[in-house]
Amino acid sequence: MRQRTDSPPCNRFTVRRTFLACAHYDMTLRITAAATPPGNLLLAALPDNERRRLILRSEPVELVLGDVLYEVDDRVRDVYFPTASFISLVSQVDKDSRLEVGLVGTEGMLGLSLLLGVATSPLRALVQGAGPALRIDAADFSSAFKRSPVLGKLLNRYLYVIMTQLAQMACCARFHVVEARLARWLLMTRDRAHSNEFRLTQEFLAYMLGVRRAGITRAASTLQKRKLIHYTRGRMTILDGRGLEAVSCKCYADARRMYARLMN
Amino acid sequence: MPGIAFPQQNHILDALPEAERERLYSHLKLVALPLGLVLYEAGDALRHIYFPTDSIVSLLYVLKDGSSAEICVVGNDGVIGVSLFMGGETTTSRAIVQSGGFAYRLTGRRLKREFERQGETMHILLRYTQALITQMAQTAVCNRHHTVDQQLCRWLLLSLDRLPDNKLAMTQELIANMLGVRREGVTDAAGKLQKLGVITYRRGLITVLDRHRLEQLSCECYSVVKKETDRLLPLRLTH
Repeated sequence: MRQRTDSPPCNRFTVRRTFLACAHYDMTLRITAAATPPGNLLLAALPDNERRRLILRSEPVELVLGDVLYEVDDRVRDVYFPTASFISLVSQVDKDSRLEVGLVGTEGMLGLSLLLGVATSPLRALVQGAGPALRIDAADFSSAFKRSPVLGKLLNRYLYVIMTQLAQMACCARFHVVEARLARWLLMTRDRAHSNEFRLTQEFLAYMLGVRRAGITRAASTLQKRKLIHYTRGRMTILDGRGLEAVSCKCYADARRMYARLMN
Repeated sequence: MPGIAFPQQNHILDALPEAERERLYSHLKLVALPLGLVLYEAGDALRHIYFPTDSIVSLLYVLKDGSSAEICVVGNDGVIGVSLFMGGETTTSRAIVQSGGFAYRLTGRRLKREFERQGETMHILLRYTQALITQMAQTAVCNRHHTVDQQLCRWLLLSLDRLPDNKLAMTQELIANMLGVRREGVTDAAGKLQKLGVITYRRGLITVLDRHRLEQLSCECYSVVKKETDRLLPLRLTH
């Protein structure tokens, strides 16, 4: 094989040039992202110039299924605006006692504690739907938040939504039967996955709903018998959304109404 | 019954810097909150924010079918009405007085004006909101996974921290409502604690005799909530 003799030595100049090329590419990506309406409803609700300013500070990232973005008490280094992904907020006492208390998709944002002036996360944030999100450094986000009354007002309202969702899920977990809760969970997930089909294991469902696996198996097979869902080898398909809504507790419809009332 | 109430009994009001105290204290109105009073129902417009001095207020989430469960408890450590500054003009929970006493009240308009100055009042109230979120999340998981016995201990400890002494005027029915369980469940759990010599319960008055033992019998949810509240609001504590 011919030895290449003309290749430029790897000096500081070439490294810098490559870096600049990458930076330029990255900037182009961001500008394009800033110009097109984002898939995130909170960002979409901002006035154009505010949105552009925020997106220019952001970095597009791919969230991977099962990744933990923050553990409880972790420092919130970045906030995330899902553009086609979603994240579960999990409250946990120990390995065996956990419960999902919130779900953040393209309608929301992860990292609300920064709004409250607290640098740590009160909940575990677990990627449940893989896909893209915009990530913004905590310091950048905080300064944008402080400077923009519009952004402040919007996110405060969203905080209210999340707190209500938390209270509702607490109460729902106490009183409603697994079947109704599973139906609610599947509908909430469908709304955020923007798809009637998603991958999940029964173990994961048990973890999210804070029940034993056998309870999930029973509830899922009842829904399947009624032809509302189809579940096979880790693939969940919603066959009849309306039917599922009828089985679900009212918590699903309530949460949707509340979001619409507050955010629109 | 307390002889005299003063704003500093509430930890949030107490933590305000001099200038903000001067601005706000003159607008505070002392109100009596008798046991069982509903400050607001879910869906009500919020007109005031309350700063309890020696009363305790429970926030309950109410489901469509009428069943409800406590999601957090607020005493002299906090305020009732955080949705005011989040822009949600109505409340989604029911606020019911769980232990009678007094609270200072401020109009929503006055609070919003103070909030807009972005001073210490705003920062303290926001940090308190994070403490509430922690309490709500912990309560959710506790409701789901822990026994009524453990939950009763947690609930008694949270109440005790917000009271000036070790006595709590309370009916079993109200406790059952708070914990979202049947009354018999509370009777059983309270009976066990009484047999162990941890509490006495007589004619609607619970006296805690052995706080240390109560902490041992509670699930860890109590200490998680307490630690987080202390961290976020490093203020003077009653105990």
